[in-house]
Amino acid sequence: MGPEPVPTWEDVARRYGRQIYNFAYRLTGNPDDAADLVQEVLLRVRKGLDRYVPGSFEGWLWRITRNAFLDGVRKKQRRPTSPLPEDDRTSLGASPSPDEVLAGVRLSEDIQSALLKLPYDFRECVVMCDVVGLTYEEIAEAAEVPVGTVRSRIHRGRKMLRELLTWPV
Amino acid sequence: MTDDRLNPPDGCNIAELFSAYLDGELQAGELDRVVNHLGACLDCIAEFRALRDVRAAVRTMPLLEIPERLLPQSHHGAELSAYLDGELVTGEQLTLQAHMAECAECRAELHDLDAARTAVRSLPRLEPPEFLVAHRTTTRDRRAPRRWQVATVAASAAAVFAIGAGVLGSPAPEPVVDLDSLADRHIARASVEAGFTVVPAAGVFGDAP
Repeated sequence: MGPEPVPTWEDVARRYGRQIYNFAYRLTGNPDDAADLVQEVLLRVRKGLDRYVPGSFEGWLWRITRNAFLDGVRKKQRRPTSPLPEDDRTSLGASPSPDEVLAGVRLSEDIQSALLKLPYDFRECVVMCDVVGLTYEEIAEAAEVPVGTVRSRIHRGRKMLRELLTWPV
Repeated sequence: MTDDRLNPPDGCNIAELFSAYLDGELQAGELDRVVNHLGACLDCIAEFRALRDVRAAVRTMPLLEIPERLLPQSHHGAELSAYLDGELVTGEQLTLQAHMAECAECRAELHDLDAARTAVRSLPRLEPPEFLVAHRTTTRDRRAPRRWQVATVAASAAAVFAIGAGVLGSPAPEPVVDLDSLADRHIARASVEAGFTVVPAAGVFGDAP
């Protein structure tokens, strides 16, 4: 199998922009930080594509995304907050009943605030797995840790989430 | 910070495989261990269910739309017409096709452009009505027309019809006028009106007898 062709930064923006935005949003609970991250990642992609050696594009992209995110966090030293944006309410769709919508919003709100209580390493792996949809290997490449560590972090992250969320029996 | 903040149920060290199982990430041989253990350990069945529910809950969070302002301008209008006319180079064509696979807006616009293009192309090719040609030549110059005059009138008539048909901007259609035939007919008519007998076209355009 030959190497993947190198995409343009516009292709990256259109294809991955939404995932990058959701990644940052679920890690921070903050739409402004998520938007800043998308811009920073696209800038780095634009600068870095010249030097990109065709290989695992997703691994390369998510490593950039993660590093940009951590750099942004260090720069701002801003504590994440967990407001529920309008998007979260409207993107639930029109077909469910109002009760279902409200339950969905509450659930989404609960999960978001529980996510924000996880240690960063766990949160990052859970979000990459369950929100972005990366494989363990892709997460390992992005986070620059062994696959076994990813596996452990996802499992422990989920266990902590379970304890943070109070489930009706 | 260690990864030992939470421990699996007493006596079981297999629970870490449950998440990998749910994610389809088990290594060879691990599946049997998970299945065998779940068949015998009630604590782990409860643990497995709880992990499954948490995983499902995180995955049901809505995928938020990215604000439009963060994306590059995505209108491909100019390329769409060139694409229909086969005027894109291979690289441009592949890029556009990949974009259209994901962009319903561009697909819809391509569909509309294609319909408009087909409609214009299906217009009948019109012959300029004879009176236009005849009227101008007979009123301005009753002598036998020279070839350049016929060609000019024919081209003007074609332009008039191009405007009438709303195809301005398209390449002007070639005049579909048989100039020799047109000239012959005109000469014949002019000769009759002037009381002369019809003379062969060759005699008019050739050396005078």
